[in-house]
Amino acid sequence: MVCIRKATIDDLLAMQTCNLFCLPENYQMKYYLYHILSWPQLLYVAEDYNGKIVGYVLAKMEEESTECHGHITSLAVLRTHRKLGLATKLMSAAQNAMEQVFGAEYVSLHVRKSNRAAFNLYTETLGYKIHDVEAKYYADGEDAYDMRKQLKGKQYHGHGHGHGGHGHGHHHHHHEHGGGCCSGERVEPKGTGKK
Amino acid sequence: MGASLPPKEANLFKLIVGLTLNCMDRKTEAYELVRQGLKNDLKSHVCWHVYGLLYRSDREYREAIKCYRNALRIDPENIEILRDLSLLQAQMRDLAGFVETRQKLLSLKPNHRMNWIGFSVAHHLNSNASKAVEILEAYEGTLEDDYPPDNEQECGFLERALEELHKKEFKIVDKLVYKEQEVSLLVKLGRLEEAEKLYQALLSMNPDNYRYYEGLQKCVGLYSENDQFSADEIDQLEALYKSLGQQQKYYEGLQKCVGLYSENDQFSADEIDQLEALYKSLGQQQKWSSAVKRIPLDFLQGNRFREAAENYIRPLLTKGVPSLFSDLSPLYDHPGKADILEQLILELEHSLRTTGQYPGRTEKEPPSTLMWALFLLAQHYDRRGQYDISLSKIDEAIEHTPTVIDLYSVKSRILKHAGDLAAAAALADEARCMDLADRYINSDCVKRMLQADQVALAEKTAVLFTKEGEQHNNLHDMQCMYELASGESYFRQGDLGRALKKFLSVEKHYADITEDQFDFHSYCLRKMTLRTYVEMLRFQDHEDDEMSKLPPSQKKKMRQKQRKAEARAKKEAEEKHEESSVGAASKSGKRHVKPVDPDPNGEKLLQVEDPLLEATKYLKLLQKNSPNSLETHLLSFELNMRKQRILLAFQALKQLLRLDAEHPDSHRSLIKFFHKVGSMAAPVTDTEKLIWSVLEAERPTISQLHEKSLIEGNRTFLEQHKGHSQPLPNVQYENLNICSIVMTPPHPTLLFFFLLADSLMHRAAVAEMLYVLEPDKKPEAIKLIEESTNNIVPKNGALGPVREWKLKDCIAVHKFLGTVLVDNEAALRWKVRCAEYFPFSTYFEGSLSSAVPNSAYNRICKRSENGSANHSGGETGDSLASNGKLETFKDLTI
Repeated sequence: MVCIRKATIDDLLAMQTCNLFCLPENYQMKYYLYHILSWPQLLYVAEDYNGKIVGYVLAKMEEESTECHGHITSLAVLRTHRKLGLATKLMSAAQNAMEQVFGAEYVSLHVRKSNRAAFNLYTETLGYKIHDVEAKYYADGEDAYDMRKQLKGKQYHGHGHGHGGHGHGHHHHHHEHGGGCCSGERVEPKGTGKK
Repeated sequence: MGASLPPKEANLFKLIVGLTLNCMDRKTEAYELVRQGLKNDLKSHVCWHVYGLLYRSDREYREAIKCYRNALRIDPENIEILRDLSLLQAQMRDLAGFVETRQKLLSLKPNHRMNWIGFSVAHHLNSNASKAVEILEAYEGTLEDDYPPDNEQECGFLERALEELHKKEFKIVDKLVYKEQEVSLLVKLGRLEEAEKLYQALLSMNPDNYRYYEGLQKCVGLYSENDQFSADEIDQLEALYKSLGQQQKYYEGLQKCVGLYSENDQFSADEIDQLEALYKSLGQQQKWSSAVKRIPLDFLQGNRFREAAENYIRPLLTKGVPSLFSDLSPLYDHPGKADILEQLILELEHSLRTTGQYPGRTEKEPPSTLMWALFLLAQHYDRRGQYDISLSKIDEAIEHTPTVIDLYSVKSRILKHAGDLAAAAALADEARCMDLADRYINSDCVKRMLQADQVALAEKTAVLFTKEGEQHNNLHDMQCMYELASGESYFRQGDLGRALKKFLSVEKHYADITEDQFDFHSYCLRKMTLRTYVEMLRFQDHEDDEMSKLPPSQKKKMRQKQRKAEARAKKEAEEKHEESSVGAASKSGKRHVKPVDPDPNGEKLLQVEDPLLEATKYLKLLQKNSPNSLETHLLSFELNMRKQRILLAFQALKQLLRLDAEHPDSHRSLIKFFHKVGSMAAPVTDTEKLIWSVLEAERPTISQLHEKSLIEGNRTFLEQHKGHSQPLPNVQYENLNICSIVMTPPHPTLLFFFLLADSLMHRAAVAEMLYVLEPDKKPEAIKLIEESTNNIVPKNGALGPVREWKLKDCIAVHKFLGTVLVDNEAALRWKVRCAEYFPFSTYFEGSLSSAVPNSAYNRICKRSENGSANHSGGETGDSLASNGKLETFKDLTI
């Protein structure tokens, strides 16, 4: 019914439109560009049979903290396309990439306290746990849950099958230039209020 | 201030002040100071550099490049200026210049990795991929490992690229991209068996990526753009998808992919834990089923289609998947499938209604299944234009379960299609009030309000989801494309100033987005995300060979859509300009294009000195971005006719005929053009004579005219467009053709006969041109239109008649009768007639539309006013608290 695939530059406008249609937390195009030009592996879209983008996940790596981890910046699925498990599929795709490509230890996200549907998805289906509460995180004064999910990826490594040397040493250069280039990243991302 | 400093320092001081002023938005002063600085010291590279920076911050890139070049003439090895220049060249896609500058940078600082990479990327962009590879090889060791293969693929060294890719597998961390690259290389090398296996593996990692299925079908030689297959191929395809659907194979592949596979199921305790977790997570998703069941519906026919469709639809109805119809809707373009679907769903509905079960089953379905079946049927009839049946189905569904918001949204859409925009907006608002915390239904409602030209209300509704305080700015800053829709609404309402203002702000978004790229030129070289960087640079570049390098047709479609949206915005902005030129005589006020607050209604925007010149600017953009759209050339034609640029108009006409000579608008343009040329005075000047001779030479090449007069050409067009969707029996055709050849001009009754089955819009074009060519034939033109018939489309198993005419076309004809032919009586007759075909249309004041006081809609409205309290009750309490905007909502409820 719906195709789940990695996003390309050509998808960004449709992703922004989808975001504006569904969520109160919105970003300028530059912020989308910043994501895809920094971590192209972490953006996924859901595309329906008519070629329309009906959902997306926008994610990033937090490179300055001590523990390498991923962060879900934004996740949305059009109301018309519920009940297809799209949010779960998008999240899994992004999480897998964080683990495999960047060796992330865990993934974090923010969710509105009042957003029960999203909270349930994160805790029950996807295995996130509340790590902290951020008071007045959202512009309208609502608190956010700071949620985390441990990624156990490294246990999958070292089993051979031609994936040997799944290098930590290697992807360091992904990290060494973190931050400090474009103003886009200074806009602090606000939340992933999932409808 | 800097007066006491020595001359050189004083100059520098000026520059610093200049830059500061620039930051403070005091631009004129800034430029003034820098120019003074240059006057004092024309040989200062710093002055030129700063001058360039000013231009750059104003997005005057060409000027900026000139300044940088001047600066470099004085100080040719200035790294900083060279770097700034290279960024601008990348932004402007001055690729030759970009290569040159990157080379210079590399030769000056060969110890910087970034300079090597930059030089290589420059060559890559400049279509010199082999050079790019050479450079990278020269600087081997610290390279991004997944970059070169991509690169080599483009320069055609496929074998080598694959070898290189395999060699570096252990270094490449992005396994998905690795496999995708590998498979694409294998396909290009014709190693299809290996590619097939790899596609299977990719599918096991992501069974929802439809592009892999497409790839797989290509590998086994079973692919067709339009799903046209032989019976034999259909059998093979069906078997392929059945085998894909077998879960076992899939799980095996998946286990291999995550490194948890063993021939004899021997696992360590740790592995067993992981496997358990894996399968637990799998259990929560529906796997292969949806894709492998949906794709066969595209290629199966007849009874096998019916059977597969039924197996596909049943569980989705039971589950209540709201997007089921939109998922099936592409099938409506396949001949015959819509009829099969109709029968099929009607049978399901009947069985559910009478027994509560699916046909042939003994298990009871939950009550919601019937509601979702009604929901699906409503959308089916909507798609077929049978709005009365459609509405009765959706009303029944609402009666069945009044709390499901999707039902109201769909009803709103049906009413919109049926022509009752006000009722559609009211329904959407009802849906919105059922869950105030859901932005999607808010947005949907805003869209409907704008369609109904309720702009003020729409804006009030939209800002409910923006930050407190700066609501409108916020909507604008977030580049919300709702401005496009509200601009269109202002345009419909004749408020050209406001419309133009909205369209210009849409245009500004696009300019900003292009500008956004700027900061990433140096960022990506440092960050080393080169593949995506190259993709970005190519995003807006339209060269054909670049297009072919981008992934499949799907993407192109998306891009086209995007561009269409952009084009539409610009087109309409342009129309605005044109109309202002016709209407208000342009006062020679100062041009004031920047949308600033002192001009909230865009009045100043309209006072453009030369609107046609402005319009030409937009036309150029359109010609560059959508050269294959009919609209582009239509606009070009209209514009150049107004500007009396005969040859340019002729060029546009030839493009129109090339794209679609049968289109009514192409025909209109053809006749109008030669009519105008024919009425011009004999040529006097040399230029006029030249134009004349070109047209003399060209006219015989236009097959639509040949030796015919315009009147004859107009008539022939009519004859050629009879029987668009309901052909007359062949014999009759032949007779008619013979008659038309023998009798020129044909007898009026014969002409009437021709018209029985042609398309309304073609006929309207002919009538209009008849009036243009022979104004005294107005009664005949009107007759041409009034004698047309709204035929019934032949189909099987219909519940009611499906007619050919579209509401939009009928409205256009009505406007033509009223404003071009200026015959109010004929327009009224047309209106009365159309009101019967479109009883829900407010435009024609149909008996069921909200424009009529006692219409069915208005009665429903009264009923639902009482009802709405029930179903918004519980949920809204929370939502209101969470948004904290109770007061605003109260005002909004209609």
